[in-house]
Amino acid sequence: MKAIKKIGTDDTPSVILDKENQELMISGRSLPEDVVSFYDPILVWLDEYAEDPNEKTVFDFKLEYFNTASSKLLLDVLLKLEDMADDGQDVLVRWHYPDDDEDMEEAGEEYADIVEVPFEMISYELD
Amino acid sequence: MQLFAIIVKQDAGVETNEIEYVRKFLKQQLDETAVLEYMAFFNSKAGVEQKRRERAKGPKLTSVKDSVRILGICRKINKKLNHKQKVVVLVRLFELVNTDRKFSDQRMAIINTVAEVFNIAKEEFNSIQTYVIETDLDSLNDPAILLISHQENICQQCKHIQTEELHGELLILQIASSDLYFLRYTGKQDVFLNGLAISNKAIYLFAPGSTVKLPKGKPIYYSDVVSRFLADSSTMKLSFCTDNITFRFRSGTIGIRNVSFSESQGKLLGIMGASGAGKTTLLNVLSGIDTPTEGEIRINGINLHKDHEKLEGVIGYIPQDDLLIEELTVFENLYYAAKLCFNNKKNDEISELVNKLLISLGLHERKHLMVGSPLNKTISGGQRKRLNIALELIREPSILFVDEPTSGLSSRDSENVMDLLRELTLKGKMIFVVIHQPSSDIYKMFDKMIILDTGGYLIYYGNPVEGIVHFKKMDNQINSEVGECPTCGNVTPELIFNIVEAQVVDEFGNYTNKRKVSPPQWEKYYRENVSNEVLEDVKEKPPVSSRIPTWIKQLKIYSMRDFFTKISNTQYIVLNLLEAPLLGFILSYIIRYIADPNSDIYIFRDNENIPPYIFMSIVVALFLGMTVSAEEIFRDRKILKREAFLNLSRSSYLVSKIFILIVISAIQAFLFVIVGNSILAIKGMLFIYWFALFSTFVFANMLGLNISATFNSAVTIYILIPILMIPQMALGGAMFSFDKLNRNVGSIGKVPIVAELMAARWAYEALMVYQFKNNEFEKNRYYDIEKRESVADFKQVYYLPEIQELMENAEADFEDKSDSVQNIIMNDLELVRYELGKEMKRVPSIPFDDIDRITLDSINDDVFENTYEYINKLEIFYARMFTDANSEKDRIISYLDEKHPTYYRNERNKYHNEALSDHVRKTFERNKILRYKNSLIQQYDLIYLDPDVEGFFNFRTHFYSPVKHFMGKYFDTYTFNMFIIWLVTLVLYITLYFDMLKRVLNAFEKLKLPSYIANIKLKKTKKEDIKTKKKKRQTVQKKIKPKKND
Repeated sequence: MKAIKKIGTDDTPSVILDKENQELMISGRSLPEDVVSFYDPILVWLDEYAEDPNEKTVFDFKLEYFNTASSKLLLDVLLKLEDMADDGQDVLVRWHYPDDDEDMEEAGEEYADIVEVPFEMISYELD
Repeated sequence: MQLFAIIVKQDAGVETNEIEYVRKFLKQQLDETAVLEYMAFFNSKAGVEQKRRERAKGPKLTSVKDSVRILGICRKINKKLNHKQKVVVLVRLFELVNTDRKFSDQRMAIINTVAEVFNIAKEEFNSIQTYVIETDLDSLNDPAILLISHQENICQQCKHIQTEELHGELLILQIASSDLYFLRYTGKQDVFLNGLAISNKAIYLFAPGSTVKLPKGKPIYYSDVVSRFLADSSTMKLSFCTDNITFRFRSGTIGIRNVSFSESQGKLLGIMGASGAGKTTLLNVLSGIDTPTEGEIRINGINLHKDHEKLEGVIGYIPQDDLLIEELTVFENLYYAAKLCFNNKKNDEISELVNKLLISLGLHERKHLMVGSPLNKTISGGQRKRLNIALELIREPSILFVDEPTSGLSSRDSENVMDLLRELTLKGKMIFVVIHQPSSDIYKMFDKMIILDTGGYLIYYGNPVEGIVHFKKMDNQINSEVGECPTCGNVTPELIFNIVEAQVVDEFGNYTNKRKVSPPQWEKYYRENVSNEVLEDVKEKPPVSSRIPTWIKQLKIYSMRDFFTKISNTQYIVLNLLEAPLLGFILSYIIRYIADPNSDIYIFRDNENIPPYIFMSIVVALFLGMTVSAEEIFRDRKILKREAFLNLSRSSYLVSKIFILIVISAIQAFLFVIVGNSILAIKGMLFIYWFALFSTFVFANMLGLNISATFNSAVTIYILIPILMIPQMALGGAMFSFDKLNRNVGSIGKVPIVAELMAARWAYEALMVYQFKNNEFEKNRYYDIEKRESVADFKQVYYLPEIQELMENAEADFEDKSDSVQNIIMNDLELVRYELGKEMKRVPSIPFDDIDRITLDSINDDVFENTYEYINKLEIFYARMFTDANSEKDRIISYLDEKHPTYYRNERNKYHNEALSDHVRKTFERNKILRYKNSLIQQYDLIYLDPDVEGFFNFRTHFYSPVKHFMGKYFDTYTFNMFIIWLVTLVLYITLYFDMLKRVLNAFEKLKLPSYIANIKLKKTKKEDIKTKKKKRQTVQKKIKPKKND
C-alpha cells in the first residue's frame, strides 16, 4: 500500500498514513479552503486500509486548530475507524492536545462521545 | 422539546445577540416556566461563550470544541428527527442568524456543516439560503419560491400569485424532498396565517390546510399554493359533463331529476342534501353503477354508460361501508389491491408504494394489524375509513367517487380524510364526495357544492360559500351578502337546510308539515339566479394509471389473497381440518359393528353398516363442501363491487376461489377417508373412496358457490342448504329404494329422472358398485363367475318359466275369441316376442326363426311348438352355463382350501361385505321378476346385470348397474359416474360464471309479486302513502296560491 505523506502548511495539516511503519497521524492546523477535496484522499486511503489492516491500528490526532468544516471531515475519519472497530479490529485513537488548550481537550472528549472507538487523551507541552 | 434545547445550545456556539429571538421562539413553543428554564440554560451557555470570545478576540475563529459539539448534536438530531423536522431545524437556524442579519463566515460555515450532516441536498440548501437571506426581489429568483403580491410577476423563475393590493409580498418556499412549505412576509399589513397575525421577521411553516388571510381579496389556501407548485407536473385533462340526467327507480319513483353540470380536472365536489334526497343515487349514476333513465354523462366526450370499456380504470368508487378483507392485515389489504391494478410494477415496487401510502395516511404503524370486523375491532373506525380510501387511492383513478367518507369519524379524523382528498385534487383528480354535516372547515374545502332536495331536485350547484349566500338571499335574510362569519371565518352549512326545509307556521305558532318553499321552486330559483359556465368536452383520452394483470397473474394474486385470508383465521383452519377426520371418526367408530356378541374380533365381512357408511360419507362430503363454499362469494361481494371498476376477469376470480376450495376439499376428503376407512377396515380402496368423495366435495363446493353468488344474505344461503341437501339424501338411492317411490317420481327398471340429477346418487352407486365388484376378493375372478351364475340362474328359474307360462296361457286361451281375452293374448305375445328377441341377441348361438310370427295374427301351433322348443334349448343352455360357472367356482375354492386352508375364508372376511352384497344384489327382494307393460324386468342381482343398449346416447340404467353404456361403448360404472359428477360440476361452473341463477331470480322478481305478498307490503307502506298523498295535496295548494297572489 502506498503511503500518504503530506507536509502541513498554514491552513492544512500534516498527514502521515503509512501502513508498513504503522504510522497514522494528522497534525497541525486544519482550515483548508476546500475541505472535502483535502480529506477525500485520506478517506479513500482508509477505506483501502480497512480491507487489510494491520494487527493494531493506532491513529494519532495532534491538531492545533481545525475549523467547523474540518470537524465534519475529521468525524468522517473517526467514523471509518469506528467501522473498523465494529468489524473486530483493534483500533485506538490517540488525541493529543496542548496541556493549556482546554478547547482541544474538550473537543477530543466530544468526539469520544460521538464515536465508539477507544480514545486515549494525551496532553503535551508546547515547545 | 429536546430539539429546542439543542437549537439553543447551537445558538450558543455562535454569537448571542439573538436572545430576544430565542425568547420569542421558546414562548411560541413552551409555557412560561419552561421558557424561563431554557432561557437560564441558554444564558449560561451564551455567557461562557462571551467570556471566551473576549479572550480570543484576535483570530475570531470558532473554537474547535464548539465545532465538535455541533457535530455531536447534529448526529443526535439525525437519529431522532425525520427529514422534515431537520429541514425545519435548518430553517430555524437561518432565521436565528437572520434576526440581526450578521452573516459572518463562521456562522455560515456552521450552518453549512449542519446541513451537510443532516444530508440536505445542495440545491435545497441554496434555496433556503436565498429564501431566508435575500430581501431583494430580483435575487429571489428560484423555482422553489412562490411570490404573492399585487404586482405583476417580476422574477423569471419563481412562481407568482396575483392578489389585490398588498403591502410588501408574501414569500413561500417549497422543500420538495420533504413536501414542506414555509411562509415569510415582508410587508407591514396585518396578514393572518390560520387566524394568527404574522410578523414580518419570522418564518412560518405553512402546514397542509393552512390559509393566509390578506387584508383585501380572497384568502390564499394551502391548496392554491401547492397547486401552483405542482402545476408543471400535472398535465392530465379531464372533463365531466352531465346532460339533463334523470333517474327512475324500478318502482317508478324518480331518484334524480334533470341534473346537468360540467366540471374540469382538479376539483373537489361535494354532494349535499337532506336524507333521502338522492345523494347516493346521484353518486351511483355519476359513477356508472346505475344507468340514468334519461340524459347522458360524458367523461372527456366518452359516454360513461355506453362506452364503459373505454373508461376502464378511470373511475374509482369508495362506498360508505368498508370494503376490507377483515382477515388480512392493513398492509396486505392494500398490497393485494395494488397488485391487482399494477401489472407493470414489481413486488418490491408495490410494497414500497403501499408503505408510502400507509405513511401518508398515518397507518404505517398499524400496518401489521389485522383489519378485523366492525364488531371485533383491531383498528379504529377512522383508520378503517382511511384504509378504505387508500384502497382506491393506490390505484390513482382520475375520477373518484366517495360516499360519506366522514360519517362516524371524529372531527379530527374527518378533516384528515378530507385533507387527503383535497390533496388528490391538487394532483388533478376530480373527486365527488357525498357529505353529511360538514364542519365549517370541511365545507370550505370544496370547490363546488351540489345540493339536492327531496325528490332529486338540483337546487344548487356552485361555490359552497356562495351557496350559503344564494339561499340566504332567496330567504330574504338580512345581511345575506355575507357568506361566512366576518370575524371568525366560519360558515354554517346547516343554515342551507334550515332555509330549504323551513316549515310554515300555523296560526298557533306551531310548525306544520308544510314547507315554505317546495323543491321544484328551489330548483326554479337556482336556474334563475345561479349561472354556471358550460365547459367543452376535452378530446384527450382520459388518463389511466393502472394496468390490469393477465388472467394467470390475477388468478395467482386472487389465490394468494384468499389463501392468506383463510390462513389468518385460525378458527376456520382448525375447524376445517379437524371437521372431516372428526366426523370420519365419529361415524366409523359408531358403526364399527361386531356381529358375534362373544367375539372381540372385528370382521369387515360381517359389518352390516358398510352401505350406510358409504352413504353417510357422501352426505358428509356434500354438507362440508357446501358449507365451506356457501359464503365465499357472498362475503366478497362488497370487494367485488369495488373491483368491478377495475374490469378484472371474473373467471380468474372464480377459478382462484375454486382452486382454493378444491385444495381444501382434497384435504378434507383425504382426512375423512383415511380415518373412516382404517377404522372400518375397508382395505385397498383408499384412492377410490377419496376420489369419489373428493368429486362430491367439489360438486358441493360449486353448488355452494352458485348459491353464494346468487343470494343476498347469509341467512338465505344457509336456509337454502337443507333445500339442496335433503333431496340429495332422499334421492341418493340409499334411503329409499328407487323402485318403491311415488309413481310420479319413480320409473320402473331405471333410476328415476330426478335422481339422475343428484350427485349423491352417482357417487353412492359408484362406490357401492366398485366396493362390491372390484374389491381384492371379487375382482380377480369371482365376480365374473358369479355373474354368469347369476344370469343363468335368473333365466333358468324366473325368466324362461315366466315366458313359457305366458305362452302356455296364450295357447290355452287362444280359442276364446272375446275381445278382452284376445287383448291379453296380444299383449302377452308381444312381450314374449320382445323378450325372446332380446334373448336371440344375447345368445346368438341358438337360432330361432319364428320370432316374427309370434303375433296374434300369424301364430299357430307350429310357432307355439317352435317357441317351446327354443325356450327349452335356452333353458338347457343356461343350465349348462350355471353348472359350468358353479363348478368352476367350486374348483377354485376347493383348490384354495387344499393349498391354504383358511385363505379363501380370510380373503372373504377381509374384503367382502355381506350387507353390501345383500344391498346391491337385493337378496331379500320378494318380487324377483316384474312385468311392466310388455317387458319383464329383473328385480334382483342387478349388480350382475349388464344394461341393454337402448339408443346411442342413452346412459340411463338400473341402479347398481355394473357397467354403463354410452355412445356404443361400455364404461365401468365408477369411471362413468365420476365423469358425470365432474360434468355436472363443470355445468355448475358455467352457470356460476354467467350468474345464471341470479338472472333467473331477477327475472322472477320482475314478475308481479303474488297478491298476498303485495298485500303485506301495502300494509307496511300505508303510512308512507298517506304522507305522500299529503305532500301531493300540498303541492296542489301551492300551485293555487301564487294565482291568488297575482
